[in-house]
Amino acid sequence: MFYRKMITLVPLFAMLIGSMAMGHTIANKGQRADLVLMPKFLGILVFDQANKGAKEAHSELKNPGKLLFLGPTPENSVAGQIEILTTATTQGQDGIMISNNAGDQIVPAARKARAKGMTVVTWDSPIPSSDGEQLFIAQVDFNETGTVMADMALRIIGPSGGEFAVLSASPDASNQNAWNAAMKEALKAPKYSKIKLVDLVFGDDQSEKSYNQALALLDKHPNLKLIMAPTTVGIAAAAKAMQDEGLCDKVKVSGLGLPAEMVSYTMNGCAPEFALWSFVDLGYLSYYATYLLATKQIEGIAGETFKAGRLGYYTIEKDPTRDKGLRVMMGPFTVYNKDNVEASAK
Amino acid sequence: MNDLLRKLRPERLRELVLLLLILVVLIFFSTVIEHYLNARLFNRVSTSVAILGVLAIAQTLVILTRNIDLSVGSMVGFTAYFVGQQLSQNNEITPLVAILMAIGVGALMGSFNGFLVAVCRIPAIIVTLGTMALYRTLLVEYSDAQTVLTVNLPKWLLDLPRVNVLSYERLNLRLMVAGMFIVVILFQLILRNTSFGRKLYAVGSNPEAARNSGFPNQKIIFTAFVLCGSLAGLTGFMFLARFGNITVVAGSGLELKSVAAVVVGGVNIFGGSGSIFGAVLGAVMIDLLENSLIRWLQISEFWRDAMLGILILTSVATDSVIMKRFRNYRLKKLSQTNS
Repeated sequence: MFYRKMITLVPLFAMLIGSMAMGHTIANKGQRADLVLMPKFLGILVFDQANKGAKEAHSELKNPGKLLFLGPTPENSVAGQIEILTTATTQGQDGIMISNNAGDQIVPAARKARAKGMTVVTWDSPIPSSDGEQLFIAQVDFNETGTVMADMALRIIGPSGGEFAVLSASPDASNQNAWNAAMKEALKAPKYSKIKLVDLVFGDDQSEKSYNQALALLDKHPNLKLIMAPTTVGIAAAAKAMQDEGLCDKVKVSGLGLPAEMVSYTMNGCAPEFALWSFVDLGYLSYYATYLLATKQIEGIAGETFKAGRLGYYTIEKDPTRDKGLRVMMGPFTVYNKDNVEASAK
Repeated sequence: MNDLLRKLRPERLRELVLLLLILVVLIFFSTVIEHYLNARLFNRVSTSVAILGVLAIAQTLVILTRNIDLSVGSMVGFTAYFVGQQLSQNNEITPLVAILMAIGVGALMGSFNGFLVAVCRIPAIIVTLGTMALYRTLLVEYSDAQTVLTVNLPKWLLDLPRVNVLSYERLNLRLMVAGMFIVVILFQLILRNTSFGRKLYAVGSNPEAARNSGFPNQKIIFTAFVLCGSLAGLTGFMFLARFGNITVVAGSGLELKSVAAVVVGGVNIFGGSGSIFGAVLGAVMIDLLENSLIRWLQISEFWRDAMLGILILTSVATDSVIMKRFRNYRLKKLSQTNS
């Protein structure tokens, strides 16, 4: 009887010890995995920076396989992403990293990829239902994004309060939607009671459209004090629009922006502060997670911890911002203002 | 009565009706949007019309010859980016050189379109659908994912959209708008008073007859595409001046808007009839609607594009149903009096 128990217990112990060892996976270098990095679309600086980070990890891990940077053209983002994913599956790629711009429309293609044994990881923007995706590499906590934006709004508008509006990218971008929802949630706290969100418009990450939307916001809301744009294209376009109208004293711009693109507006007061994270690091971390999954060094279950090179240790956890789905959170935010923007712009 | 009919050419009637419609739109929105009719509206709409208007003229030249150019949006984007990049690297480039550079780059792309259509005899819709993607990809490759940033652009370019030629109270006539008027007058004169202009209409209204009377049809079509490209290049320069931050998606969607402006402006999509003035009025109508709908909270994002579609369909439909009848009626009446 006792022995029988032991027999069942031994493998249990072995599993426990095994999982603890697996819990701190340090990458076994030099294994082969053909990987694809897919941005929302080509031609936006931040995605190129992510590619830089992924390339760095690729050579660091001495992966003899290929790393491809494939993205759709801007006007064909949704259909193009689905097509690239389908093609990658047919070609027998070992893994793909997706910054999803196609909402849940990408699910059937992602499921097919999974059925063929391909690793599917999302980064920057997840699959909303998490269906077909193994892991989401979150740049920052989406709820924290909401708080960071609400805090910047409060600091810029000031304690006396006032109206502000959001200029977002496209209605299909799940990261944008999640941030806006998180900000609305954050605004419910009493300390934000005097700042009022009056409008939400979309500029589709197109400079001219964002510019016109920013101008229209002024017309619609004569008392507007701030335009909050959680997109690097939108924030620069809105700042240019305010500058052209000579309204930088009256209406400020904030949101998520790249220091190189925002430095002049921050220095002249149009956009006193904005925030962002490192896209190079995001690409680097995404690559590490995908490589480990594709080479079966981690399984992609909650509680696993792995080392992502120079960035250190990360743990896979349940994604609190979605009903289902797992995430790895990178963080943190950097808030840029007059003091640090010039140094970061270089 | 007949005197009136003789003077009232169908195109004139179209333009008058369009003017009336623009007025109706203005009155309608002034009742549903607060503080609608003011100087700001004029400044805003006129500045965006300056860009779309020049592009509509470009499109008109090609459509008059019974062709179409769907690559104008990509040409605008590429030129805006290319010139922006050159100016960022070398702030010493003078305004005149920058404008000529934009026109030159546009002309080059236009002549490639023209070559494929006029010499290789490939249908324009196929050619320009192809080059629309081609020029856009060229831009994506050339840009290497970098954005043209306002920081690096010379000061004169950034100040350009704010320069006024005339100011009355708070109404401003911007330099860019004046620039468009110059282009309008120039091309109106070319179309009405030169043999090239008359040939452009002839080739579009009846290619067979034009060929039989010894017109070098293909040469004229080629020239139309080159001019279209040059004007698209000029539009690219204005686009750069206005928006400053140029990404790889710059100008996408302008192809649809330019065709819409032309068609709404009464230029026949089958070539041969229409005027520059009409096309610019079409551009005014479209930009006015867009600027107003954006402020009319009841209309969702998605319906705005649909409105553009409805506008194109209605104007083509009225053209083929009502204007055709009017044309026939007019000809009948006039021939009766002549005989």
